[in-house]
Amino acid sequence: MRKRSIAERATRWALIVLALGWSSVPILLVVLSSFKEPSQIFEVPPRLFFRPTLENYQLLWDTRPEFFRALANSAIVTLGATFLTVLASTLAGYVYARYRNALLSASAFGMLAARMLPPIIVTVPLFPILNALRMNDTHVLLVLLYAAFYVSLGTWIMRTFVAQLPIELEEAAAVDGAWLPTILWRIVFPLVVPGIIAVSIFVVVFAWNEYVFAMIFTTRNARTAPVVIGEMLGTVEGVQWGVIFAAATVQLVPVLALVIALQRYLVAGLTVGAVKQ
Amino acid sequence: MLVPTLLLLAAFLVIPAIYVGWLSFNSSTYGQATNFVGLTNYAQLFSDPIFWRAFWNTFLIVNGIVYAELFLGLGLAVLLSPPLPGKALIIAVILAPYAITESSGIVMWRYMFEPDVGMVSHLLSSLGLGQLDWSTNPVETLLLASTIAIWHHLPFTFLILYSALTTVPREVLEASEIDGATRWQQFTLIVLRLILPAVLLAVLFRYIFAIRTFAEIWLLTEGGPARLSEVLAIYLYREMFKYHQFGMAAATGCFMLVMSIVIALPYLQRMYREVRRNA
Repeated sequence: MRKRSIAERATRWALIVLALGWSSVPILLVVLSSFKEPSQIFEVPPRLFFRPTLENYQLLWDTRPEFFRALANSAIVTLGATFLTVLASTLAGYVYARYRNALLSASAFGMLAARMLPPIIVTVPLFPILNALRMNDTHVLLVLLYAAFYVSLGTWIMRTFVAQLPIELEEAAAVDGAWLPTILWRIVFPLVVPGIIAVSIFVVVFAWNEYVFAMIFTTRNARTAPVVIGEMLGTVEGVQWGVIFAAATVQLVPVLALVIALQRYLVAGLTVGAVKQ
Repeated sequence: MLVPTLLLLAAFLVIPAIYVGWLSFNSSTYGQATNFVGLTNYAQLFSDPIFWRAFWNTFLIVNGIVYAELFLGLGLAVLLSPPLPGKALIIAVILAPYAITESSGIVMWRYMFEPDVGMVSHLLSSLGLGQLDWSTNPVETLLLASTIAIWHHLPFTFLILYSALTTVPREVLEASEIDGATRWQQFTLIVLRLILPAVLLAVLFRYIFAIRTFAEIWLLTEGGPARLSEVLAIYLYREMFKYHQFGMAAATGCFMLVMSIVIALPYLQRMYREVRRNA
């Protein structure tokens, strides 16, 4: 490869630093300011070194108990949606990887085409019906909705991971008299763990952060954290910025840590789920 | 074993989508039987200047978002393609906005752009540039909303393009170097052609997803002032949940769906051939 001059290397790093700033500065500012006293939040120039205080977190705890309930709701919905999506897409992915016929291809195509549907459209028929069924504002509804919007991507990822397994293992087990559930549970599942992790990250990030469905379909019992943060921002006259920053920080830390820790699975899943389709 | 997946898709995507199509030819609201009105909803929709405003706003921000992301994502992918120290960490930081919820993203950007007090507002006015007047000027609302959308989704576009770049074989580049190609020629004549499928895929997916843009604008201005910064998703939301005109909301939904399908058509065609080939 050709030699890179010092000027070129300097430009490259300058641009990389710029990109790092673009991605991280908005997040860092809010996280950092969540530890500032209210009077320091809009100080100009912003202070980088200050005596950190937990005042905003205390205020959040005292004045916004609904935020912590919402956080618990988010956790329940996220776990439920992830479990359901992983289960449904592993089973379906197995079928698509191991069996072929015209009907299956048609349904695979339908599944991919369904991804083109803008989610807000389904709220129009679903809202009145779910209201009549008294399913609005329940955790189960959000779990089902989130799973429905991620099973197609999940199935596609799992199909690719199953297809990479040598079929001889399953055949040998079948010869030994194992039936399909045993083969799936003992042989296939353990070998597709990377795929399961990849699917899980996509669903966790989506379900934990989803805003539109949660805003429309929940009012109190199943209200999730992103909606409550949006509401805190909505009461904008005399907005308590410090309290919102504390809420945003609490909400973002677990998923941000997960994405950073498991980024290679994210890349693998995206490569399989998007590029190779 | 396909049952759970197909059931989920049927109950929450396919049947609702079909029902929306039917509903768009009906007049319907709470406590009133739906009755068939033919194309009345569409006629009303297409004669509503607010709808057209929402359409053009959507058109504007979708194209702005998609091409800005393509340009930035491609640049970033090229920037990070050679071996670099600390690359895993750099990519982790670049991916960070992907993990942030839309409402927190708005919190972050409003903190910087809050009129008079935000630090970027301060910076801009001290440079004599004036502030970004996003709370009252609809064009500037859309500008800030697009910026936030780009910030959120650049990681996705970047990752697709970056994974594609890593598959370009080194030998091809070395061979072209020996043949005396400049670096720019290498990029435009070889690299860009090899990764073209990934570029198209990224563009298509971002089109499909950008048409749905809702939260960025809703949480900034709720489409105001005077509904001037609305996009189609917000128009639909208002018809549905503020005015309870289900038929109108359904017609808007069908319009969005047709837009998405038209954009996705080349991709769906390719998919269809591929799926058939695998059968």
